[in-house]
Amino acid sequence: MARRDVKAEAVEPKLVEYADEEPSAFAAMLGGLIEANVSGRDEKKRDFKSLVARVGIFVTDIDEGVTLDFKAGKLTVHNGLRPRRTMTIRADADTVMNLSNLKIGLFGLPVYYDGVGRGIAAKLLTGKLKIDGLLPNVMTLNTVTRIFSVQ
Amino acid sequence: MAVKAFSNEWAKEFKDEVNSSSVYKTAAKGWKWTVGLVVEAEPDKNFPESKGIVMDLFDGDARDVTVGPASDAQKCDFVITAPYTRWKEVATKQLDATRGMLQGKLKLKGDLPTIVRYTKASQEMTECTTRVAVEWPDET
Repeated sequence: MARRDVKAEAVEPKLVEYADEEPSAFAAMLGGLIEANVSGRDEKKRDFKSLVARVGIFVTDIDEGVTLDFKAGKLTVHNGLRPRRTMTIRADADTVMNLSNLKIGLFGLPVYYDGVGRGIAAKLLTGKLKIDGLLPNVMTLNTVTRIFSVQ
Repeated sequence: MAVKAFSNEWAKEFKDEVNSSSVYKTAAKGWKWTVGLVVEAEPDKNFPESKGIVMDLFDGDARDVTVGPASDAQKCDFVITAPYTRWKEVATKQLDATRGMLQGKLKLKGDLPTIVRYTKASQEMTECTTRVAVEWPDET
């Protein structure tokens, strides 16, 4: 019997999917940013594979939010805030973008002592950046920040 | 003196504004990609044809800014597209460019991590557009 060589094609599973048929511009931007970050960097990929959390991000000055549902190597992005979130980050557009510019320092911890970090810390202290569910989920926040960071 | 919106004179003034901004120079250190702005036509606003602005930006300097067909701008590394009215809102500080992008009012094409890394530079560039006195075609 003739044998056929069948090459197994390694199909890379999709890292990011969108729950809504028409993702909002904000959802597409965050999903695209995370996908690019994770695809390009092994250390971010490791974090992405380990993270199980449902993170809400709400941009106060455009009144729009998304829910990022991380499931150990897969992310589903929902338009709007969905229930059962592990944590929710609320801030204006500039602050949300600046979260992506936090540097990651020793032991994989975000750097809060440079210009960007101090700005974020000040907003947290003055209530312009609010993180619901922060205290029991500090490690989760650090992991999300590492995945989110473009630095 | 005011210059016609998205004309060659506007491009020159805009380039001069960018090059005189110390904030931009610092924030854009390391930037080495071209940026295209597509201004979509709105005939009812007396802006009958789409235009493309091509910005050759390098390491904190605007080496060249030219106005031509939209197709030229679409070939750039980063392309931001919006109708004429939206760009006018950005240039008159009625619309913040970051918010506009998150809301999909300005459509961005290009490597997202790179553009996010240079958020401050792009914000200052937007500020530069607001400092150019412009004669808007729908106001003349």
